[in-house]
Amino acid sequence: MSKRQLAMVMDLNKCIGCQTCTVACKTQWTNRNGREYMYWNNVETYPGTGYPKNWMELGGGFDAAGDLQPGVIPNLEADYGVPWDYNYESLMGGMSDSNSFHPHVSPTWGPNWDEDQGAGAFPQDNYFFYLPRICNHCTNPGCLSACPRDAIFKREEDGVVLVDLDRCQGYRYCIAGCPYKKIYFNPKISKSEKCILCFPRIEQGLPPACAQQCVGRIRFVGFLDDEESQVYKLVHKYKVALGLRSDYGTQPNVYYVPPTESPAKFDAEGKIIEGSTRLPVEELEKLFGPAVHDAIKTLKAEMKKRKETGVSELMDLLIAYQHSDMFRLDNHYYQQVAKENKRNPLAPVDTRYIAGKFTKAGGHH
Amino acid sequence: MNKVLTSLLSLGVAASAALAADAVTAVKVANVADAAAWSKAKFSSVMLYPQTAIEFNDKKANEANEAPKAKKAEVGALYDGKNIALMVKWADGTKDAQSGYVSTLYPDGFAVQFAGATKKAQPLPYIGMGSDGRPVVVHLQKATEKVYEPNGNKDVGTQLNRQQTGVFGKELADYDAKVASLANTDYERVFVGEGFRSLTEVKDNSIQSNAAMTYGTNGWSGTLIRPLKDGYVNLGGTVPVSIAVWDGSKMGRNGLKNLSSWVAINFEGQKANGAVIAELADSKGNAAKGKEALAANGCNGCHQVEATDPKSVMAPSLKNVGGYSTAAYLRESLVKPSAVVVPGYNRNAHSNTPWYNLEKGKRVSTMTDYSSLDKQTLEDIVAYLKTLKAEVE
Repeated sequence: MSKRQLAMVMDLNKCIGCQTCTVACKTQWTNRNGREYMYWNNVETYPGTGYPKNWMELGGGFDAAGDLQPGVIPNLEADYGVPWDYNYESLMGGMSDSNSFHPHVSPTWGPNWDEDQGAGAFPQDNYFFYLPRICNHCTNPGCLSACPRDAIFKREEDGVVLVDLDRCQGYRYCIAGCPYKKIYFNPKISKSEKCILCFPRIEQGLPPACAQQCVGRIRFVGFLDDEESQVYKLVHKYKVALGLRSDYGTQPNVYYVPPTESPAKFDAEGKIIEGSTRLPVEELEKLFGPAVHDAIKTLKAEMKKRKETGVSELMDLLIAYQHSDMFRLDNHYYQQVAKENKRNPLAPVDTRYIAGKFTKAGGHH
Repeated sequence: MNKVLTSLLSLGVAASAALAADAVTAVKVANVADAAAWSKAKFSSVMLYPQTAIEFNDKKANEANEAPKAKKAEVGALYDGKNIALMVKWADGTKDAQSGYVSTLYPDGFAVQFAGATKKAQPLPYIGMGSDGRPVVVHLQKATEKVYEPNGNKDVGTQLNRQQTGVFGKELADYDAKVASLANTDYERVFVGEGFRSLTEVKDNSIQSNAAMTYGTNGWSGTLIRPLKDGYVNLGGTVPVSIAVWDGSKMGRNGLKNLSSWVAINFEGQKANGAVIAELADSKGNAAKGKEALAANGCNGCHQVEATDPKSVMAPSLKNVGGYSTAAYLRESLVKPSAVVVPGYNRNAHSNTPWYNLEKGKRVSTMTDYSSLDKQTLEDIVAYLKTLKAEVE
């Protein structure tokens, strides 16, 4: 366990599946140098196969006794999908052989192959929701436990889980060990790579790219030991944000506000079945554990309270009126850490989100 | 005095050399880089045993390696005034080379390990990664291949005729650019290690070497040329060397490999090093008695001893330990369990059954120290452990 822990909360009621986070991450980190197929951030349709294909069935994580479970390493073409390009150049240049727009490979699979399919029968009771996923920066990471080279480490100062690329020899046991399959093999450099929670941004006062670009404002970022942080309030105070598949035993640090709002079902005549809800609570329990029932209760109660009285701290938090209401970063803290480790303290590039508990008054505006 | 000592040593040498399992003769030639020089080489068989001390968490790899077998390699060595050259030939029915944009391909490979030059030749470093104060130098070569096959199907039917540059010039250039962008460059690495987790890639060119792999009929031939002497090793007389090969079709990488025990390379025309030969000598204990002693001391409480015993998570499996371990190493492990702690998973992979504890940053084995056993019993146990090895492929 690290000294402090950064966490992210994603409010699934607000995710519209626009993939802006995915693109933000891709352009920042993974559109080059062997990482092309990787999505450190992806948004998948639930229920669905997910990314990589059927990741929940590929093993990894820990059993009840705390022993690491064996897992399967996904295949790039069949399970992740080969990234493809289109023949723009030949079409634009008028030198196309076929005059048709086509990909440079014949894709057989890709992320979001089953986007928006969901489950149930249209129009009676079909349903789905979007599930954005990044590395969970677990407190007990399966990837770290699996690595025989000790190439994966959890940063003491903020709990970010990173790969030491100097030590990594591309054995890929980390991929088998991660139950979320959020660590990837880079075939070009023959090493594993993963989401770094945009630590170079966070250290300088910028939220992770996926969180800052999110148009739905679903993502909150801060330290879990900072009682003023949004993440603390959502996770510990109101207990409405829950870890994904915490039954894998890795103690994930990305939390989700479960989707509580779903439309009613239709009967055979296409009439609304009053009081029904399309999203089966069992599905939510599978993802977020039994605590999901209390979380839903709290969310519904606070929503009602807000409607009736106009006052609810929780609802105000989740609405996130200002961009700066979503992040509590701590550049001052990182400067301190840097000084203690005789590194060069980095000046903030943006002061709007620097409000963390170690930040002196007047350090932001 | 000197003479007496030498003759005593050589007596010892003769006796133990007879017991030592494998040995390779390095033949002196004018230039090891000259391919024709290999016609003078004397090849010897070296057994490579599957390393099964720990089972990793890759389900498919574990299924592919349920009952691994030992392999026989043919090893030859040459030396000239400056360099040593080694050739390793081993059977492998499938050619697996790292190529293309794939996540589940594991290349075949081979490695040659030398014991680093230290003041004292004994005890030898641990066979895998060296040990504290006893460094090793590891030369690793993995098979790579430049093939553009974006679907990972080995579908190269779309390739163009390289002779037709007039027609396909631009396409060929595009194709070459694609291949280059996949960047499956030569995968040759040199490491130094002083115990598990200390293996560090040498990137400052302080070790000059050239390794290569060629696939022939049903098998590989790997060559390595390196200087006899550099900042890390000083080779001559009798040199302990260890060979490892990886089989990509069995998803081999890191510990999933076949490796030899320390094998002596005898430099033809040079004086043998008795100390090294003595270190490689086999045990003279009684294996049958050792088996009883091992059971009586409860070793199988934590260790899987024979392949038919249940798998262990508490301690490394011993089922093939006799193949790749020297008697000297086994002896040391019994009386100084913390001298080499096989890493296995991270400690928190099996948090309730750790096989070591961290004390002041050092890994201290949770194994009982058996130095209280009498010498003969220890020797018998070592002799029994030496019999634990996989059958040959």
